[in-house]
Amino acid sequence: MSLVSGKLANEKVTIDDSSPESTARIHLVFDKGKLVSQEPASTIFFMGGG
Amino acid sequence: MRTIPSATLIVIALLACACSAVAQGSQPQSSAQDQKVIDYLVKDWGEDYSVTTVDQAMKAVKVESSEETRFRIGSYIKAHPELHEVIRRWGWVTLVLTPEEKLIARALINAQRDGKPAPSLSELTKAVGIKEPDVKRGIAMLTRYEILTKDSKAAEYTVAPRYIKWEPRLDFVFHNLTLDGGRQFSVN
Repeated sequence: MSLVSGKLANEKVTIDDSSPESTARIHLVFDKGKLVSQEPASTIFFMGGG
Repeated sequence: MRTIPSATLIVIALLACACSAVAQGSQPQSSAQDQKVIDYLVKDWGEDYSVTTVDQAMKAVKVESSEETRFRIGSYIKAHPELHEVIRRWGWVTLVLTPEEKLIARALINAQRDGKPAPSLSELTKAVGIKEPDVKRGIAMLTRYEILTKDSKAAEYTVAPRYIKWEPRLDFVFHNLTLDGGRQFSVN
């Protein structure tokens, strides 16, 4: 995901995502590449690249 | 043979020009507006891995929110995969539907795939987290794109068979990003 690229890693990024399992929504806020908040709290976020 | 006086022909020609000018006066605004959105998308797609959607592009170029405009632009994208590799790679559905429309489609597809009855309007409002008029608007858009068909006997909506066969975890998903500077786009 572009979040880990150098360009976006220096920004505040809000992600609104669909759950892969259902119709639930996931809301994540990152600031300079670090996770600041997540809804729902049970969200499991995997970060990586290749 | 009866001839038409040249003065009459001139009047007819002038009227034809006038009608054409009136028609052009009402048309170019919307088509120029649509083109502005399409130009934005073609330029933006692929930037930061973006698969920017029509609704995001309309906001970005400050085009007034309208289901009709969004459908017109979406239909153009659907019919023109040659516009950009992103359309061919991710498919028009990813680019033309809003998050709400995707979630409505997901709810209906998951139920049909699992052999369950189609969710009612109130079940859809709960599942997607939007109000009933918005669910109705979403269903109408999905029907216009022939993703859903209305079953006249059961008063239910049926998902077109090809969408039932899509990979369950990958269909009708969205990953929308908003940057602090205001830029909005999607990635897949």
